[in-house]
Amino acid sequence: MGPPKGGYAPDLDKFLDTLKSRPVDASVDFLISLLKRRQIQGSESCAIATARVLLQVVAKDKWIDVDQLIGRIQLVGRKLVAAQPHELVIGNIVKRVLGLIRDEASEDRNDIANDSPPGGTTTLPPSIETVPVEKSIRPPSLAAFGSFARSQSMFTLLSDPDFIPSPSSTSQLGSGSSTPQRYPQSTNVQALKSEVIDGIEEIVDEIRQVDEQIQNYADIYIHPGDYIMVHQPSRTVQRFLTRAASKRKFTVLIVVDPSASHISDDPYASFRKALTSGGSTVVNIMNVGLMAYMSRVDKVILGARAITSTGGVVVDSGAAAIARAAREQGRTVIVLGGVYKVSPDSRSHQEAFVEWGSPSKYVNFADGRMVGQVKVRNVVAEFVSSELVNTYVTNLGAHSKDHLHGIIADHYNDEDVNFDLFGKTQR
Amino acid sequence: MSQNKAARGGASSKGKRSNKPGAEEKREDVLQAVLIADSFQTRFEPFSVERPRCLLPLANTPLIEYTLEFLAMNGVQEVFIYCGAHHEQIERYIHDSRWSPSSRSCPFSSLEFIRIADARSIGDFLRDLDKRNIIDGDFVLVHGDLVANISLDGALAAHRARREANRDSCMTMVLREAGDGGHNTKTNGITPAFIIDPNAKRCLHYEEITPFQTDRYVTLDPTVLEAREAEARTDLIDAEIDICTPDVLALWSESFDYELPRANFLHGVLKDWELNGKMIHTEIINEGYSARASNLQMYDAISKDVLSGWAYPFTPECNIFPGQTYRLRGDNTYQEDEVEVAPGSQVHDSILGKDTHIGDESSISNSVIGRSCRIGSNVRIVDSFVWDGATIHDGAVVEHSIIAERGVVGKKVYVHEGSLISYGVSLSDETDVEPATMLSLLSYSGQAVSPQPELVGSQGKGALFHNPEDDEADHDDPSILQKSLIYSLEDLDIETSSVSTLADDDYMSDDESNPISPTASQPTSRSRLSSFASDDSGAPSYSGFHSDAVHGLLDVLRGTSGNFESEKLEFTSLRLANNASDGAMRRAVATAFVRRAIELMNAESEPLEPIKAAKQVLTSREGASEFVTDVGVGDRSVTEQTEFALAVQKACANSAKLVEVAKAGNLLAAMLQQMYDLDILEEEGILGWWEDERGKEDGQMAGVREKCQALVEWLENADEEESEDDDDDDDDE
Repeated sequence: MGPPKGGYAPDLDKFLDTLKSRPVDASVDFLISLLKRRQIQGSESCAIATARVLLQVVAKDKWIDVDQLIGRIQLVGRKLVAAQPHELVIGNIVKRVLGLIRDEASEDRNDIANDSPPGGTTTLPPSIETVPVEKSIRPPSLAAFGSFARSQSMFTLLSDPDFIPSPSSTSQLGSGSSTPQRYPQSTNVQALKSEVIDGIEEIVDEIRQVDEQIQNYADIYIHPGDYIMVHQPSRTVQRFLTRAASKRKFTVLIVVDPSASHISDDPYASFRKALTSGGSTVVNIMNVGLMAYMSRVDKVILGARAITSTGGVVVDSGAAAIARAAREQGRTVIVLGGVYKVSPDSRSHQEAFVEWGSPSKYVNFADGRMVGQVKVRNVVAEFVSSELVNTYVTNLGAHSKDHLHGIIADHYNDEDVNFDLFGKTQR
Repeated sequence: MSQNKAARGGASSKGKRSNKPGAEEKREDVLQAVLIADSFQTRFEPFSVERPRCLLPLANTPLIEYTLEFLAMNGVQEVFIYCGAHHEQIERYIHDSRWSPSSRSCPFSSLEFIRIADARSIGDFLRDLDKRNIIDGDFVLVHGDLVANISLDGALAAHRARREANRDSCMTMVLREAGDGGHNTKTNGITPAFIIDPNAKRCLHYEEITPFQTDRYVTLDPTVLEAREAEARTDLIDAEIDICTPDVLALWSESFDYELPRANFLHGVLKDWELNGKMIHTEIINEGYSARASNLQMYDAISKDVLSGWAYPFTPECNIFPGQTYRLRGDNTYQEDEVEVAPGSQVHDSILGKDTHIGDESSISNSVIGRSCRIGSNVRIVDSFVWDGATIHDGAVVEHSIIAERGVVGKKVYVHEGSLISYGVSLSDETDVEPATMLSLLSYSGQAVSPQPELVGSQGKGALFHNPEDDEADHDDPSILQKSLIYSLEDLDIETSSVSTLADDDYMSDDESNPISPTASQPTSRSRLSSFASDDSGAPSYSGFHSDAVHGLLDVLRGTSGNFESEKLEFTSLRLANNASDGAMRRAVATAFVRRAIELMNAESEPLEPIKAAKQVLTSREGASEFVTDVGVGDRSVTEQTEFALAVQKACANSAKLVEVAKAGNLLAAMLQQMYDLDILEEEGILGWWEDERGKEDGQMAGVREKCQALVEWLENADEEESEDDDDDDDDE
């Protein structure tokens, strides 16, 4: 009967639904279109979509060794980052997945290195990866084994009882090359694949659980009687405060942008209800009036879109002014955001993090004179430099600025941290 | 609705007729769209001579990309693209792009081309679509020049709800509010007026208001206002996004002469509501962006909107089009990779495509520069559009103009406002291009033309572009207002006119409102007789009548199709459909016959003398003279004959571009003579014409008139002597 639920327009859910039935490349292109058209936006949605599509790449693509897989992920990652360069989490997830593959692969190598003779780690240079299967030497049958055996094959055969002849293992036979390679031919692509897939699933779970985990720290930061200022609270911030409000009474000042788009229903109605039911007070203030309140405020809580390695935070537009005001008055600024938002990205100029959106948020397009005569610019996100932030709360707990490097070191592989995802992909 | 749910299992019930509700529902989870990729208009000339409008670059991205992206964005699955002119280019483009059905990244499950070579209007496309029976349910009808970022989900749901409540709700138009004041993105010249019932959102009436109208009123049927609230809205941008049921196609088929989706179809269906019972609704949105680049002025406005981010996410920075690498630099300038701007140059509010180089001390503002452009030093480009691969040499100035691909602007050339420099035109150094000049390498029919050094300089390539159909078009046809890059009523002298001036416009000198050479227009003499007012004005669908009528007649005269019997029928229906006036009929008949005669005179193989040409055109085809008598002249009163003679004179005067004035005069004399011989015109008529002030105007009109002196004298003599059917005046030729 009728149209698909929620209309025809594609979004994150529709994208995830179609992932399984589409070829990988089509999914990647579909995601790129959705990112470009901003039909998937917001850091959490972007992160989940990226992780899911990379999972498909790992699961469905034909890759025969780790380097090829890494190259493939890098290529797809670059395309995705190019599609929405302002959303840092896309790059984060790509680098997380790359790190994951390297970790799994090196675990493998360690296993192999422990048991196998030295020759076992020499393999083909990547350039010969495309050798067609037919041309490669057939894996030796057991009967022929005696005369044909090499230590390598022997090892593979013995170490893996479920040994399935695959192009990757057989092509090693033809290799006379001693080119050293960082990652060995995995003896079992299947095993590596399933480990990587599990790893990506864990990343997705982590992203989904961020809000829940962060709200556990609410009690530590919010005290009875506090005056808390929030700016267009994201779901993370909302849940953080709701949790605190279930136990304590405090006052929340919600700063709302004076926007031209007249949304009649209050987007924070349920949030407000949750807070007041616990006895807390909620005050709505327009962005312009916030300075007057700042002297009463104890803490400012901001939801991050992304956190850079230097401690700078990408926030919704309007929040930077609040952070600056809080700094002037010596108030505490707390930034909430999952670990997946902490980016190893080291781009220096802040402009790169900032995206300009449609001016229609502030000026109605129907106002012909304004449209014709006045240049209206609407920034989607702003950059808050690290000096304005006191504490970062992630799903792993609270961190100071200096601590962020530790998080990055824990979650990303060194090789990927400096990998430039912004390189040219389209050539 | 519940019934429909049950029917879902029977999704394969294809046997049902498509206009039955059961079949309509069968594939509703798949959204279909029909994209019209031919406009049947000449508003983008000279660019559209070589390339279809939908492939012209807007902000360095072909227009059709925006349209297809809009469809993909709204979850459309199946697309049918209707092509007419340049279909091979469109097909090749789509085939090579990511939209190709064979491409893995194509978001559509199917994309089909439908070619209708002999289609002459959008109406022909939609009638063809009705025959094909490929539309199963609601579909979205868009044009290939649409730029929009709105979500259709709301409108689709509302449309569906209405259709389920009442099966006669057949169409929903998606319109964007744009305020009462002036707005760059509203169309100039033609203001759509929608009479809408605000509660039911039903459209009750549709008119188009033009500056040519005398009264500026919309005439409403009293029934429209019965027991309903009604709002008259002229503040809407109509991007012609329609959500239709297959019933709409059936309506198109029923009215075989509808051509335009708005002026004909919408107007007609609403007017005949009591007959067809169909209801058309509107969905007025006040968020998002939607507009059609339906003419160069809109192209200009939409480019500016895209640059200012109104069409977000369709901004250069979002790089919607694969392969683009735009990034925002300071000063609201979007640059692709490998752009070189010399340090001394200033660029602001502009778009610069890949590999473009800009020399020292140049300034570029509010402009779009394509890929691989070479721009020299000390160049100034303001409010302009420079397409891929153009070269602009040192010291040149380009103001509010379009330089198409591979165009070359020489050193110190000054291109004034509103100029259109088509593909490959080259201007040699120090040329001065007059405002609103159209230069092209090809003529309107696609033939190469020889360069005109007086316009493009001694080394230049290109000639003035000129479409003769513009001359024939009525001057109260509002579409001429949309043919230039810059909207202007200045040359038209409308504001100062009295009630009767509209009829004057019909007989004004031809160059008067011609956007090509407004500077050449001579001041109009406005000493018209007020009794001359005709009823030509106001009818919105009037515009197409003249060219259609002339083309139809020409076909018959050439003997390529039909005969006068059937042509007369067609002519009458055309006239009724367009509500054309007697004056328009006369003009059409006169123009067609004169044009055919000129064709014979200019024929390459055996050119005919004017006398023979006149004779042949009026006698060679059976029924020609009767046709002229009945349709052209009408009721044989002296006034009618005078008017017709005047129309013939006018047509001859217009044709002075194709032949010398003397020859045109000879032709006029021969035509009149011949018509006298054939009893089409009587003595009184011709003499009445001779006395008529209007024929004595300066310029061509007087030029062609001179030659008839002999004929008139002979007629007068014959009158006195009451004798002789002597033909000796032919010797005067």
